[in-house]
Amino acid sequence: MAKKNARDSRIWLSIQKEKKEKRKYVLISCASLLTFLLIWELCTDILKLAPSYAMPSPLKVFRSFVAKLYQTAPDGSTLPVHIGVSVYTALLGFLMGAVIGSPLGILMAWFKTLDRIVKPVFDVLRPIPPIAWIPIMLVVLGIGTASKVAVIFMASFVPCVINAYSGIKQTNEVHIWVGKTFGASRSQLLFRVAIPTAMPMIFTGIKVSLGASWMALVAAELLASSSGLGYMIQIARSVGRADIIIVGMLMIGVISMLFSAALEYLERRFVKGVK
Amino acid sequence: MAGPEEVFALICKYFIEPVGRTTLFGHIGASLGRVLIGYSIASLAGVTLGLAMGYSKTVRAIAAPLFNIVRPIPAVAWIPMTILWLGIGEAAKIFIIFIGGFANTVINSMSGVRTVDPVLIGAAQLLGASKWQTFRRVILPSSFPYVFAGLQISLSGSWMSVLAAEMVSSHEGVGWLIITGMNNANTAQIMAGMIPIGVVGFILVSLMRWIEKKLCAWNDRSR
Repeated sequence: MAKKNARDSRIWLSIQKEKKEKRKYVLISCASLLTFLLIWELCTDILKLAPSYAMPSPLKVFRSFVAKLYQTAPDGSTLPVHIGVSVYTALLGFLMGAVIGSPLGILMAWFKTLDRIVKPVFDVLRPIPPIAWIPIMLVVLGIGTASKVAVIFMASFVPCVINAYSGIKQTNEVHIWVGKTFGASRSQLLFRVAIPTAMPMIFTGIKVSLGASWMALVAAELLASSSGLGYMIQIARSVGRADIIIVGMLMIGVISMLFSAALEYLERRFVKGVK
Repeated sequence: MAGPEEVFALICKYFIEPVGRTTLFGHIGASLGRVLIGYSIASLAGVTLGLAMGYSKTVRAIAAPLFNIVRPIPAVAWIPMTILWLGIGEAAKIFIIFIGGFANTVINSMSGVRTVDPVLIGAAQLLGASKWQTFRRVILPSSFPYVFAGLQISLSGSWMSVLAAEMVSSHEGVGWLIITGMNNANTAQIMAGMIPIGVVGFILVSLMRWIEKKLCAWNDRSR
C-alpha cells in the first residue's frame, strides 16, 4: 500500500512538473507577443521613428478595425461584406477544383488509358503558378466573379489531382492481391482498398489546394476587382491608409488559419488512421 | 484568345528580338536573378530560425506566436505594405520573394528537428556528447531531408511570388511581360509569358530533385 502511494505521488509530481514547464513556455510566448506590441507602439506613437502613413501604431490599427466593421469609407463596403465576398469566391472555386480534381486524380491513377491521355496536358499546365493565370482569365472573362473563380479553380485543381494520383499509386500491392484472391471485383478493389489507402493523401491535397486558392484569390483581387479583401487593401494603398492595409492583411491571415483549422477537424472526423 | 501557332511564333520572336528592354532571355534572367537573391536570404534565415525553434523550447516559445500570425498571410498580401516601406525598386521585390519562401523553410526545418528519433539523441548524450555535438552530429544530419523538402517547396513559392512582385511594378522580367500583355489585351503575349514561367518553374523543381538525390541518397522520396 505504502509502495503504491509512493509511486502515485511520484507520477503526480512529474505531471505537476510538466504542467509547470508548460505554463512557463506559455508565459514566455505571451511576454514575447507583448514585447513586440510594445516596441511597435514605442516606435510609432511615442518615439515617432516611422511616419504614420508608412507604419501606423497598433492602437490605430485596432481602432480602424473596429471602425471598418460598420464604416464603408474609403472603398464602399464594410469589412464583413468584403470578407463575405472573398470567402464566397474562394470557396466556390476551391470546391469546383476539389470536386473535379480529386476524382480525376483517382481515375488517372486507376485507369492506364486515361492516364496516358490526360497526363501530357496536365504536365504542361501543372508548373504554371496560379497567379500567372490571372491576366489571361481577366482578359477572357472580365473582372467579375467568373474570372476569379476560374483562377482559383486552376489553383486548387492541380494539387488535388497530384495528391489523389500519388495516393492511389501508393496502394500496397499485397492488399490488392489479397482482395483479388478473395474475389473482389475491380470496382470493389478501387472503393474498398485503393481509395481508403489514398484518403490521407487526398486530404493533404485538399488542404494544400485550399491554401493555394486563398492566395490566388487575394492576388486576383489585388490586380483587378471591385470588392473583397484584396480590393480593400488595394484601395487603402491608393489613398494611403496603411492602417486599413494591415487590418486587411491580418484578416487574410486569420481566415486562412480558420480554413485550415476547419479542414483539420474534418480530416480527424472522416479519415481513418489520423490522430 | 490566341491560337497555339501564334503563341509559338511570338515566343520564337521574343527570343531574338527585344520586347520592352531585353529579349525573352533577358526577362527570364532578370526574374531568376531576383529569385536567387530573395530565395538565398529566405533559406539562410528560414533554416536558422527553424532549426533553432525545433531545438530550443525557449526560442520556440518566443518566436512561435509572432510567426503563427504572420505565416498564413500570403506573399501577395504583403505587396501594398512593402511598397509603402521600400518603394517600388528592387528591394521591394526581393522582400516579397523572401516572404514567399521564408515560412515553408522555417516550418519544415522545425518539424525536421522535432521528428529526430529521441533514442538517437539519448544515445549520443549517454556517450558523452555535448549539446553542440548532439546538434551537429545527430540532429542536423537526421533532419536534413525535411530541411531540404522545405527548401524545395519554398523555391517554387519564391518563383511564384516573383511574378506577383513584377506584376505590381517592374520594367523587365516575365511578370512584366504578362502584365503588359494584359494591359494591351494581347492574349498571345500573356501566354508567351506564361509558358516560360511554367518551363522555368519545372526546371527549377527538377534541379532541386536532382540535388536532393545526390545529397541525401539514403532518403529516396522519389519512389
